[in-house]
Amino acid sequence: MNEEAIKLTSYFGERRRVAGAALAGPVLASTVFAADALLDQYGRHEVATSILLRGAEGFGAKRHPRTDMSLTLSEDLPLIAVAVDSRSRIEPLVSPTAEITGTGLVTLERARLLRDDIDPRDIEAVTPYYGGDQETKLTIYLGRQERAYRMPAFMAVCDLLYRRGIAGATALLGVDGTAHGTRERAAFFSRNAGTPMMVIAVGAGAQILRVLPELGGLLHRPLLTLEQVRICKRDGELLATPAALPAADSSGMPVWHKLMVYTSEAALHDGQPVHRAIVRRLRAAGLSGATTQRGMWGFHGDHAPHGDRLLQAGRHVPTVTIVIDSPDRIAAAFAIIDELTAEQGLVTSEWVPAIRPGGQSPRMPAVPR
Amino acid sequence: MSVGVWVAVALIGGAGSVLRFYVDGLVGSAFRAGFPYGTLVVNLSGAVVLGLITGLAVAGDAALLAGTAAVGSYTTFSTWILETQRLTEERQHRKAVANIVVSLVLGVAAAALGRLIGAQL
Repeated sequence: MNEEAIKLTSYFGERRRVAGAALAGPVLASTVFAADALLDQYGRHEVATSILLRGAEGFGAKRHPRTDMSLTLSEDLPLIAVAVDSRSRIEPLVSPTAEITGTGLVTLERARLLRDDIDPRDIEAVTPYYGGDQETKLTIYLGRQERAYRMPAFMAVCDLLYRRGIAGATALLGVDGTAHGTRERAAFFSRNAGTPMMVIAVGAGAQILRVLPELGGLLHRPLLTLEQVRICKRDGELLATPAALPAADSSGMPVWHKLMVYTSEAALHDGQPVHRAIVRRLRAAGLSGATTQRGMWGFHGDHAPHGDRLLQAGRHVPTVTIVIDSPDRIAAAFAIIDELTAEQGLVTSEWVPAIRPGGQSPRMPAVPR
Repeated sequence: MSVGVWVAVALIGGAGSVLRFYVDGLVGSAFRAGFPYGTLVVNLSGAVVLGLITGLAVAGDAALLAGTAAVGSYTTFSTWILETQRLTEERQHRKAVANIVVSLVLGVAAAALGRLIGAQL
């Protein structure tokens, strides 16, 4: 089946705490981590899919730097919480999420959610929006220990996408979330079989849609989303610049831009990893925020899917860097990213129809396409 | 050794690790040039203090509390090594070698300086 869905994403710091259940009246009120409060909420509401991801480096509107380079600073890494479900199920979650996230960033994006049986009618229904010449981002939600044909499902999915000529795919490991409405949280002493993972793939719409039935056959219970994107760079080659957009949509809501930069941990610029160089340069340039995450497995361009090996001198995992800002500042960010990804990397741009940069709750995106 | 001394070791040891967390965080966020300055500052300052205590020739419970409990919990070998390993993971080999060499050379110098000051007092 397929349905119009809304993707609710929040970006905040790991140490952020919010009021929890009162222990003994107002005097002994407890606090809980914002991440726990958020995922508890998604679990209670049985959100179709949600995932909590931990970044390796980043900064937000308050310009506070976060990095895992130092053990002490690793206490407060950037977090990304994503929840996807139908419009009617996400709507009541928006303002509590904005409250829990505090000064963090909250975005609402449109997506098409496909789950369980993916039949030809579903593909037909989404073709006008995500097929043909349109470039499309496909996100596949999986369990950490899920297997497909005797291999980890995320590897099987990346292999399939690579063989079908998709521009890139990156598998990201979540630490908490929901899958088909059930809470799946990672624990220290556990196999964490159902803890959510996501594989983000980008490619030509026609190619992405062609691979959907195969994914349907590969996975036990498929759950995936489709979103429209524009591929700006591939393997260092400039294909397009982020589209010039008005600063507000027809209803007056500010429209922001999102850039996603897929590079490899092994790619260096001036002696430091490209993804770290990007975050540091963007922070110095005064952007509103950026977060970089390490993946587990993936590819972009024409090298085969890769990840860490048992014995290695340096890490081989793919990385994803997300930058969200107003259209004019995104142009400046893109110039920096273009320079740092001169030789490798996949860069995509999307527009973010609803955003809450600080304080107020974002409004639902106006009209579905 | 009395129960009081053990309790004091636990309390002072706890305070030492809190102080490290604070100093490391402060230095780490002030200089973010992709080098673990926080741990370097913690270990060097700890070496000066430990040298000083030795130079002062403090004996008995006082040496245990100031040396093992306070400085022992404040400084960190494992974090220094972990952060060096993280640098090699990211192919920052020069910085990794610098982190080892600078810590060792300046660390021995810091301990000697502490001893010198302690002996003068």
